[in-house]
Amino acid sequence: MNRKNKNIAYDALVVGGGIAGGEAALNLANTGFKVLLVEKDDSIGGKMILLSKVFPTLDCAACITTPKVSEISRHPNITIFTGSRASNIKKISDNKFTAIIHKKPRYVHVEDCTACQKCEEVCPVSVKDQYQYNLVGRKAAYIPFSICNPKAAVIDIENCTLCGACERVCPTNCIDFTMEDEEYNLQTKAVVLATGFNLFDPLKIPRYGYGTYKNVLTSMQMERQIAPTRPFHTILRPSDGKVPDKIAYVLCTGSRDVSVGNPICSQICCMYSIKQAQLLMGALPMADVTIYYLNIRSFGKGFEEFYEQAKGMGVSFVKGKIGKITEKENGNLMLRYEDINAGKLKESEHDMVVLSVGTLPNTEAGGMFTDKLELDKFNFVEQTDLMASPAQTSIEGVFVAGTASAPMDIPDTILSAGAASSETISYLIKKGQVVWEKE
Amino acid sequence: MGKRIGVYICHCGGNISDYVDVEKVRLSVVGEENIVLAKTTMFACSDTNQKDMVDDIKENDLDGVIVASCSPKLHLVTFRNVTERGNLNKYTYVHSNIREQSSWAHSDNKEGATEKAIHLVKSAIAKARYTQPLEPTKVRAEKSVAVIGAGIAGLKAALSLSDKDTHVYIIEKESSVGGWTAQWKNLFMTDETGESLIKRLRDELYRRKNVTVFTNAEVVSNSGSIGNIILRIREKREEFDIVVGSVLVATGFEPYSPTFGEFGFDNVPNVITLPEFKKMIDHEKDKLTYNGNIVQNISYVYCVGSRQPEGDNTYCSRYCCTATIHAAIEARNKFKGIQNFHFTRGVRSYGKQELLYAESLQGGDIYLQSYENDLPTVFARNNKPVVRINDILTGGKELEVESDLVVLVTGMTPRNDNLVGTMFKLPKGRDRFFNEIHMKLRPVESVIDGVTIAGSCQGPKTIVESVNSALAAATKAYANISKGVLETDPQIAAIDTNMCTGCTDCISECPFDAIYMKKEESKQVAVINKTLCKGCGMCTPVCMPDAIDLIAFSNHEIMGMIDALV
Repeated sequence: MNRKNKNIAYDALVVGGGIAGGEAALNLANTGFKVLLVEKDDSIGGKMILLSKVFPTLDCAACITTPKVSEISRHPNITIFTGSRASNIKKISDNKFTAIIHKKPRYVHVEDCTACQKCEEVCPVSVKDQYQYNLVGRKAAYIPFSICNPKAAVIDIENCTLCGACERVCPTNCIDFTMEDEEYNLQTKAVVLATGFNLFDPLKIPRYGYGTYKNVLTSMQMERQIAPTRPFHTILRPSDGKVPDKIAYVLCTGSRDVSVGNPICSQICCMYSIKQAQLLMGALPMADVTIYYLNIRSFGKGFEEFYEQAKGMGVSFVKGKIGKITEKENGNLMLRYEDINAGKLKESEHDMVVLSVGTLPNTEAGGMFTDKLELDKFNFVEQTDLMASPAQTSIEGVFVAGTASAPMDIPDTILSAGAASSETISYLIKKGQVVWEKE
Repeated sequence: MGKRIGVYICHCGGNISDYVDVEKVRLSVVGEENIVLAKTTMFACSDTNQKDMVDDIKENDLDGVIVASCSPKLHLVTFRNVTERGNLNKYTYVHSNIREQSSWAHSDNKEGATEKAIHLVKSAIAKARYTQPLEPTKVRAEKSVAVIGAGIAGLKAALSLSDKDTHVYIIEKESSVGGWTAQWKNLFMTDETGESLIKRLRDELYRRKNVTVFTNAEVVSNSGSIGNIILRIREKREEFDIVVGSVLVATGFEPYSPTFGEFGFDNVPNVITLPEFKKMIDHEKDKLTYNGNIVQNISYVYCVGSRQPEGDNTYCSRYCCTATIHAAIEARNKFKGIQNFHFTRGVRSYGKQELLYAESLQGGDIYLQSYENDLPTVFARNNKPVVRINDILTGGKELEVESDLVVLVTGMTPRNDNLVGTMFKLPKGRDRFFNEIHMKLRPVESVIDGVTIAGSCQGPKTIVESVNSALAAATKAYANISKGVLETDPQIAAIDTNMCTGCTDCISECPFDAIYMKKEESKQVAVINKTLCKGCGMCTPVCMPDAIDLIAFSNHEIMGMIDALV
């Protein structure tokens, strides 16, 4: 790129606009520091904003996340770059980092867009909607999802045919195909990594039939089906649009499994599956829900009670690993498993199967640095002083928050983000570079 | 009355509109006196709607705003802030809860739920007609924090606050700092011992000029309120006061102590608890012996004092599975001929701890698992303890293991003495640990302004989790006091001293000790401490002469609301 980069400076760079990055940014901003929040997606809010309800309190996830997101986006001390990536982060002196922030063009001027969706209506292109986890389609000119932030259209240039229909119909002329990549040279004093996690891709376990059998879904697809911003108005199985009445959960899909390269426990799947089972029993009172598990790990505050509550509601728990799933002609699925309680091999029929996929590290964090940032053997960000300072990384002044360092649930993520911001504030004060903004 | 009120009725993405006909609710208030605007919205709390509300307030010259949505616990503050951004006094905002109080509670009766929602919104309108602009009470905040308890959580919180140029007073009831962690040698997930971890933190602490440590000390009483809390400290035989802006409670846990005969405790020989076992393996040198006999076969009975089917402790203690697996591996590596038998209820070595479980299995440890409703029993045979189990993993076979030692894997329980909790009026959960305000939104704050909770006093935690929570609490405590000035809610009780007869009935009723007597002219009258009063209203019904009214919940507002409801 030969274009001249713009120079910007902030007290702290927060990479990742999920709940960990958002919480850390808010804590820093509330104590007077100027924060740049860089998010690779077109909306902040991470994965949590897409969830249905959250365990064990069954709070509506959107109701908790949207006001936080709103507070972040309005905070005078926080600048948000969506559709952007940080790279070449380099420590150049004891208290100074430089980095390059790359902002890809949205082809929409966010401040002028009213989210009227007229562009969406006229766009002739239809592709899979990644925010609905491919359950339905979306246009190439689209609002990411109804509670996204910033709430503005975005043009998916990869799939756009450049027909110009959206541009012609836009009442505020906010669509602009001349927008280009932007690069910024950032100076900052500290970095918070909140790069989050990736979900396990069940295509790696062919015997479960994901991608081949239509009625085998991932837990995130089920999460979308029961979220307030759901694609359908009820729960449907994809093959024929039937409302399912015998649903199976397969726990430890891609976790505690050396054969797929992930020997550790993802820490959240037991609980989110138990939660989904409870929500399904509420939404479909006639449905049977069975959870196939190895060990139920309901270890957090109120979790064991939540597990007991699910049993009380009639969710079936079967201890056993699923060996193989096969599809019948009517789209139903046969699960072959060892029922460990009974000591027998068994088969059971379900009309929908949900794979409780595990969490994997987001491996992008390491590549953002010019100098080496240590990763652990699973490629999570290494916590170099785990016991005394869990947010500390191998580079002084770089702190880690949330699932970038290990699998964790939402309450633990918030605490971890609280810890990372605490360490960052201490670091910034210690380095004697605080400019207090008097209110 | 010339009030101009705007009403927003929230779908809550279906949480409300699946059961309540929100459009019908809207139509029912259109045309009501003072209502100049009534709208429905998918998510009232979304950024887009918040922006619309600000515009509406300005364009329609509103002086009262109502949102009918979820519980005010969730979003009262959100919408007060919106009102403020519309240049209105935030106390002119009135919240109506039609989710918890209507749609969720009456999901089996959509018409009834809609009818009730209409009444609730109308009662909010009745209240909104009387709202007055109020100004928050401003108090000066001391830039110091008291940390109660100097275990790993308290130490880390103190260091973190000290880093932030805040004076810290540590109050520790034992003779030295470090808590449980200081007593432990090898820890799981690290090569460092508990002793050396604490030494590292303690050495750092004693280098700090802005940290004062009181050992053999306790808080005797407290007064004042956030920003200016006066604690009376007893250190050894001396008593003195300190003044702090905020208090961070990190009083930790108590290991569960089994009752007589529980899994053979005290009535079967060679049955000990996990903390005792950890001490044993730390202190024994070449041979592991108990009561002079060599120990080779060790049985571990899990979930003692946790996940109790009958009993108070229904919760999981979270740390003990991995702690036991780790201790068993240690024992096997340190002493010759050890065979471990784990009597579990499903192993919970979550996250990266799973690797320890895998290591233990590879090393030859044997795992058995009991049915949830059929726990193992421990009895004596030939003067040795035997554990009997119906084992899930072998298809329900009844198995017995005679061993040299049985280790009861005891969980975490709340502190036996609740002096600190009682003094600060900290609410507890069903598990009897201190309760946070909201697990996700405000996980380290208690309902008492200015008092944060950290570490295992809030619930069982590992060291890493305790430290995370301590640092998060330090951030909140710092946010409380760093600006030097605090605002407190003006929606509190007010006493008409002309009408007060000085009977003191209200004083004994107040749960926050916020009312005191004062001599005024010729008589004694009751006076409200504005920062202590929470506006709970306990004092108003006992006041015979009706001298007490609640600001923003005055008698005429409440009566108006009741009229709209019935």
